[in-house]
Amino acid sequence: MTRELSYAAAINEAQRQALELNEDVIVLGQLADMPTGIFGTTSGLVDRFGPGRVQDFPVAENLMTATAMGASLVGTRPIIVHQRLDFMIYSLDAIVNWLALWRFKSNGTSNMCITIRAIVGKGWGQGPQHSKSLHAWFAHLPGLRVAMPSTPYDAKGLLLESIFGECPSVFVEGRSLFSMTGAVPENAYRVRFGDAAIRRSGKDITVVALGMMAPQAMRIAAEVAKEGIDTEVIDLRTLAPWDQTKVLDSVSRTRRLLVADPGWRSFGVAAEIIATVCQALHNRLLSPPVRITLPDSHTPMSSALEQQYYPTDQQIIDAVRASLR
Amino acid sequence: MDHLSHRTITQIGKYKLERGDLPPDILLALLRQMLRLRRMEEALIREYHPADEMRCPIHFCIGQEAVPAALSMLIRPTDYMFSHHRSHGYYFAKGAPLKELFAEIYGKETGANGGKAGSQDISHAASRFYSGAILAGAVSIAAGAAFAVQHKRLDSIVVSGFGEAATDEGAFWEVVNFAGLKKLPLVLVCENNRYATFSDQLKRQASDNIYERVRPFGISAVRIFGNDVVQVYQALKSAVDHARTGEGTVLVEAYTYRLNGHVGPEDDSVNNYRSATDIEFWKMNCPIRLLEEVLTQTGELTPAARERMETVIAEEILGHFAFAKANPFPECPDWRRSNWSEASPLADKLLGSAEESQFDHCQADARLEPY
Repeated sequence: MTRELSYAAAINEAQRQALELNEDVIVLGQLADMPTGIFGTTSGLVDRFGPGRVQDFPVAENLMTATAMGASLVGTRPIIVHQRLDFMIYSLDAIVNWLALWRFKSNGTSNMCITIRAIVGKGWGQGPQHSKSLHAWFAHLPGLRVAMPSTPYDAKGLLLESIFGECPSVFVEGRSLFSMTGAVPENAYRVRFGDAAIRRSGKDITVVALGMMAPQAMRIAAEVAKEGIDTEVIDLRTLAPWDQTKVLDSVSRTRRLLVADPGWRSFGVAAEIIATVCQALHNRLLSPPVRITLPDSHTPMSSALEQQYYPTDQQIIDAVRASLR
Repeated sequence: MDHLSHRTITQIGKYKLERGDLPPDILLALLRQMLRLRRMEEALIREYHPADEMRCPIHFCIGQEAVPAALSMLIRPTDYMFSHHRSHGYYFAKGAPLKELFAEIYGKETGANGGKAGSQDISHAASRFYSGAILAGAVSIAAGAAFAVQHKRLDSIVVSGFGEAATDEGAFWEVVNFAGLKKLPLVLVCENNRYATFSDQLKRQASDNIYERVRPFGISAVRIFGNDVVQVYQALKSAVDHARTGEGTVLVEAYTYRLNGHVGPEDDSVNNYRSATDIEFWKMNCPIRLLEEVLTQTGELTPAARERMETVIAEEILGHFAFAKANPFPECPDWRRSNWSEASPLADKLLGSAEESQFDHCQADARLEPY
């Protein structure tokens, strides 16, 4: 019987093991040292490792990122945590003008070993300032790695890979996934960047899904299988870099593509993936590739409007059917 | 000097430098360092246009030599230093190789950053020197380095040089709050040269007393006449000692002036942003001149010794130019590897692999609590 952990507990365990494995790992974040521990993801760490290695931080997000940078230069491996990705935006100067280009402008003589955890809300009226997922912004920047795990297994393995890697990593966590449980091995293991997971093999259509839309894509695949549609589901797991090889290989077999991206439509990740596929396989596609994304709108608060805002299973099922028609 | 302010500073007239208790060898070394920096900048200005081989923005620091000269004699190789875009003085102060600065400006392969950064973004990781052009951003990273130095209980300190314009930015005040809270081993050196490009500090801020404004945050702060290299040396020495003994962060506000334009060798007086009286005051009280007057008067600096100093410096500078010009331009890099490290030695060492099992995707979304 394999051990099961929730997504939040897997993140907690990855940090605990990282703190055990290497004394240079530190965790900084507002309320990181509280018993509730950022939705349980840092609970207990301060008791185990002390207030020097697990620290609360002033509500100064730009400084928090810059502090991680300076601390990395002195040999630590900081993990910084934003309870809401939206607050991270105060640190855009640190991220865009300094962090992303640090290795480049040092001509490869200096790396930033930093992990930025950023949590994206969904539901219960999170509204326009607690639910933005700006993963496409970060993936646009040379020099950053961007992870978007959808399972507890990936959350742990990718977080460890981020912490002990040599690139700055933005680790985007879907809060709607936090209670989902799955098998998580006890050892400290790695999941590589740029290595997508084929969650389901199929021959009729490739569905590339990201983050919180990956479980949804799997549910839809099970649903349309009842009517004989055989879906291949690829969970991209990381955006920068993203696994072009697996996606191109899959679409060259299925010759149909749907991308499910929990971000805004215009200039987004779905557009990038579809453009890449069209350039490589333009004469092989049997139907136009489909984008399932959030509308080009900010998130509403009302639960009635939330239901309209986030793509429903039925919308995606209809899109899959239309693609095969 | 209780009422030092850009508003009234010219009332000082001709400044009289007091040598204090500094021994002659320190004074002569300060003079040599200031002259090295001055002559280097003058040479770069002269060479900038004739062949247009230095194709990057350069913010020269003529007139602002006192702070870098003093720092160069007070900090250790194990210390960290961060600078803004007017970087040459700090690069020099940290003891980073000057020929690599020249080669960097020329965009050459052997430049400090292989021609990727240029003057305003130059760094030298082996010398623990870093710079960048987005003002308070570098001060913030310096605070982070100081945080880790404290966390790891290292003997180093961190020096962050910036101009008064960086204090317009909110990011600066995040540093001040955090540094005061944590008593970080950080020396904040504010070279207040009055202008953000062409904009007077007193057009941007209600007063020019930054040192007073940081004190309530728990930071020790002093202001000095930044062209008096003896005062500068003494203030920075006590700041460095303070930070190194764990007493916390110090800010030194040094009132000074750049005699060249904001950027490049050109005269920018078309913007009419500074008065002839001011410029005359600062030329008359240039830091090199002030010290030289004292040393000449006492006979500690003879004309012959002065000439020898100049000869050695001129030769050194010629060597840097020769190095920069003789070396090749970089080849086209691998863009991906230039931006991302593909190696992960620590992950290779510490992390293993694991089998992934089937995940049950038919689980409900987490029900978020109101918080």
